[in-house]
Amino acid sequence: MKKDEIYERLNKVFRDIFDDDSIVVTESTTSNDIEDWDSLEHINLIVAIEQEFNMKFNMNEVTTMKNVGEMVDIIISRI
Amino acid sequence: MVLTTLIFAIFCIITLLIYFVVPKKIQWIILFVSSFIFLFYNNLTIGTICQAVTILLTTYFSSILIEKSNHKKRYLLLGIGIILGLLIYLKYTNLFLVSFNHILGMLHSSFRFSFVKRNSLIGVSYYSLIMISYLIDIYRGAIKPQKNIFKLGLFMSYFPILTSGPFIRYKDIESDLYGRHKFNYERMRSGLIRILWGLFKILVISERLGYFIDTVWGNLEVYSGAFSIIAILFFPLQLYTNFSGSIDIIMGISEIIGINLPENFNTPFFSKTVTELWRRWHITLGAWLKDYIFYPLQKSDFMQKIGKICKNKFGKKIGKKIPLYLSMLLMWILIGAWHGGLYTFIIGSGILQFIFIFLEDTLQPISKKINKKLGIKEDVFSYKLYQIVRTYLLFSFAMIFFRAGSVSNAISMITNVFKFKFSVLSDGVIYMAGLDRSNFKVLIISLFILFVVQLLKRSGSVREKLFNQNIVFRWAIIYILIFSIIIFGCYGPGYDSTTFIYRQF
Repeated sequence: MKKDEIYERLNKVFRDIFDDDSIVVTESTTSNDIEDWDSLEHINLIVAIEQEFNMKFNMNEVTTMKNVGEMVDIIISRI
Repeated sequence: MVLTTLIFAIFCIITLLIYFVVPKKIQWIILFVSSFIFLFYNNLTIGTICQAVTILLTTYFSSILIEKSNHKKRYLLLGIGIILGLLIYLKYTNLFLVSFNHILGMLHSSFRFSFVKRNSLIGVSYYSLIMISYLIDIYRGAIKPQKNIFKLGLFMSYFPILTSGPFIRYKDIESDLYGRHKFNYERMRSGLIRILWGLFKILVISERLGYFIDTVWGNLEVYSGAFSIIAILFFPLQLYTNFSGSIDIIMGISEIIGINLPENFNTPFFSKTVTELWRRWHITLGAWLKDYIFYPLQKSDFMQKIGKICKNKFGKKIGKKIPLYLSMLLMWILIGAWHGGLYTFIIGSGILQFIFIFLEDTLQPISKKINKKLGIKEDVFSYKLYQIVRTYLLFSFAMIFFRAGSVSNAISMITNVFKFKFSVLSDGVIYMAGLDRSNFKVLIISLFILFVVQLLKRSGSVREKLFNQNIVFRWAIIYILIFSIIIFGCYGPGYDSTTFIYRQF
């Protein structure tokens, strides 16, 4: 799967979770860039991404991912 | 050994002197020896040695087995089980006995279990959780186990953090803890100022507040009305100055050594919601619970199933929230229980906090709509001030239970509030409850200083701002701080430096 396609599908998940159709994530997007992305919503996002790409993050990755770029790297390595 | 005593100061000076004199490769051994002296100071018994050795050996062997074995989960659970079992045995036996006695009472039995006194080592609540997170991190592949058992012993018992935290993570502290450190003047200057500020918070503010609060709480049948209100409003400040003051001393010592510790407070009383307050209060405990309990629980198949069922039944928005609230409730009960083996802790620092956060989250859309209809602006100073005051009042209310010791005491305190007489505030009677007029004045001025420093802290390090000033002003501030601790610090007959609020946890 190409990176562009991953970002496209990620955008879909982000928009669905945060109820905001204007969200466009990039490599450097972090939780500071999206208003509702707090520690409570983080896990819902993670689970939704796991379902979208049919893969699993391990707990260490869940707690240490710094931005969407790192998230995408993990997704690429798993699918 | 209490952080504000002379013996602790001497202990630190000797430790630091030896630490910077010995060859750098054995510096960590000095810390290890100091930490074990600190750990067993005044409490060296076969029981306490067994406690420390059990936790250390359990962690050591579990960590190696988790890394090497194919049954990682089994050894992780075994390790956590032993550490947690010991913690529960040491801290919560009486909580269970109270519950059993309640049940026996309901069954009309005259038999009652008598309470037991456990001689637990200082800091057991801290290093138990620190060691559990160490094992989980190895299980998750985030770190490699420490093969030197003495180095692991130092990680477990690093002396500054044994009294009040903060919670440390192995991967964050490893290189600093075992690393080689040169003496650095700038670091020492900065660390010493932080220690002084911590002493000011504890000795000048917290202890002084304690005189009043303890008098009112100790005589609930005598003091009511204005006394109760003031005692209730003072308590969060007492707790904060005591706890964050201890953290300042701990961080200051570590800074001098060259070990960076995570911050535990970030001006919590400027928070506009209780949710925000808990992001700024005991930050490392919150982060610990988030990473090791909340996330795994939320991500578990069980919670995912509940989420799915709820989404089908109640729709996406509400369905998503129900498992979240369930996990949060469990987490808040655990936070309450961590604070101590009393139901009042579970109510005050657990369930009530959860209720406030739950209400904030569910009522926020409604209050936003109401404000919009009524034309109330939310981004103006007056509204923010209202939010800050409201948050402080809610927190103070919950903390009544935290302080009470028993539910009946908490209820007496709350009913006392309604026996209010205005005359108390004008006829000088208020100065009869442990704090006379001059002590009240010192308190008000020192609280104002605290407020100013907190305000300055919001725009960056206060110490950096101080170091940027000219030498005369800089030293004037430092001298004022030193002399106010010496002159206004509470060392009087009523002063018992062993009563650190957070130490018991």
